[in-house]
Amino acid sequence: MKHSFIDEYSDLDSLIHRLDPRVKLVTLVASLLFIISTRPTSFVTFVLYGILIFILIGLSKIPIGFIFKRSLVIIPFVLIIAIFIPFFKKGQVAGSYSFGSVHLTVTYEGLMVFWNVLVKAYLSILCMILLATSTKFSNLLKAFENMKCPKLMTMILSFMHRYIYVLVDEMMRMKRAKDSRTVGGKRWFHVKALSHMVGVLFIRAYERGERVYLAMCSRGFSGQIRTLQDFKLNKTDFCFLLTMAMLLIAIRTIRR
Amino acid sequence: MAKKVIEIKGLNYSYPAGAEALKNINLDIYEGESLRIIGPNGAGKSTLLLHLNGILSGNSHIRVLDLEVEERNLPRIRSKVALVFQDPDDQLFMPTVFDDVAFGPVNMDLDKEKVRHLVKKALEAVGMQDALNRSSHHLSFGEKKRISIATVLSMEPEVLILDEPSSNLDPKARQHLIDLLKRFRLTKIIAGHDLELILEICDRVAVLDGGAIVADGDTKAILSNKSLMELHNLEVPLSLKLK
Ligand SMILES: Nc1ncnc2c1ncn2[C@@H]1O[C@H](COP(=O)(O)OP(=O)(O)OP(=O)(O)O)[C@@H](O)[C@H]1O
Ligand SMILES: [Mg+2]
Repeated sequence: MKHSFIDEYSDLDSLIHRLDPRVKLVTLVASLLFIISTRPTSFVTFVLYGILIFILIGLSKIPIGFIFKRSLVIIPFVLIIAIFIPFFKKGQVAGSYSFGSVHLTVTYEGLMVFWNVLVKAYLSILCMILLATSTKFSNLLKAFENMKCPKLMTMILSFMHRYIYVLVDEMMRMKRAKDSRTVGGKRWFHVKALSHMVGVLFIRAYERGERVYLAMCSRGFSGQIRTLQDFKLNKTDFCFLLTMAMLLIAIRTIRR
Repeated sequence: MAKKVIEIKGLNYSYPAGAEALKNINLDIYEGESLRIIGPNGAGKSTLLLHLNGILSGNSHIRVLDLEVEERNLPRIRSKVALVFQDPDDQLFMPTVFDDVAFGPVNMDLDKEKVRHLVKKALEAVGMQDALNRSSHHLSFGEKKRISIATVLSMEPEVLILDEPSSNLDPKARQHLIDLLKRFRLTKIIAGHDLELILEICDRVAVLDGGAIVADGDTKAILSNKSLMELHNLEVPLSLKLK
């Protein structure tokens, strides 16, 4: 079965893909800090950050449509949270509406905060998607590990990433087996069968966990997963890091 | 007489939840031998294999490479006795092929260059050197099987233990596996039902049924013994029938 949708573009060959994942991680954190701490009124700054991000996306050769599609998955959550802000923030009234007995007033201050949350969230999301789609998950984890992220967390994520495909496969196979044996039947019956399947899936996952542990022990596992890490910073990495740092600072100071 | 690699005396084992899985097993395996363990489903083949590197331990006396199988010898034993599990998704648990094949050597505290060299050699031995940086979950089943074998070859073991290596393989992948196993000179213990494969690579067969060894000896003699084979839910391989 194909699951290429999870890391579809992580094998491309581009400047961005070739960068050391640690460099990308540091750049991401720095960019997020810069974006988040920008004053809400400096529109030009936001536009410039936007342009910078799109240049990076262009360099990475990842189709821009793909990145947009990804961002559409996340942005609704931001919207749901942010949509109420304009109504609750006190300040100069921009408009008021009443639906029956409910009075809603929108304030300029509220709109400003709303715009601020939205634009910062969107720019940050774009940055994160770019990092996630241009880096192999295993490399990303190694970078986290290398930067002293708790081992336990990277280990859990690593197993999750490895076995999510296996579990999805198992679920699909079970579902097919069920579908090919259920002809008609009440909806309630299907729900019941599904709940059994989830139970079986849980037990299978548990048993697989045991077998994987035995396989690890057979190869000398002693409580710590160790991997070879040989990230080396080269010239491109340094240049990228410096350029990005300068650009971020320059954009920030452009309109004092 | 060749060196004794594995010596099992009076091994009994019951799973905590279940009935007796192994009953009074006695088995000696010599250096360079290819032993095949056959038997119907649930005979206890996998259970027996798990004893050989100390994953399970019953009340018995097992010696592996002149080491008693017990807690303090386990690291040494496990670096010498390589066990490949039946399901490659259990065997390959790291994100990339490289990390998986390097897992054993890294745990053996070898230095970086040595690890890299061993990984390369192991992948070459199974003909998968191009897969170095691929993710395990994108491989085909046959490729996963081959890499599973590489994950233990990289530890340079003296004994190779395989559980059903040829199940679910297509004919070409299976033939490739057989050729691969033929080339390895180390002591091999293989469990499974694929009888044609035994004929090609194994010189000795042990038949396991109901947790006990019911026959042990020369491959051709045992496999062509029709009444013995049918008694234990097995069949005489076609190629021997035709002769
Ligand atoms: N984890 C377990 N807990 C309890 N009983 C088990 C467990 N694993 C296996 N058994 C039982 O032990 C017996 C031997 O099982 P084993 O897996 O060794 O058989 P096998 O010869 O490898 O069979 P197959 O050819 O199907 O792989 C079976 O009766 C099985 O039901
Ligand atoms: Mg088995």
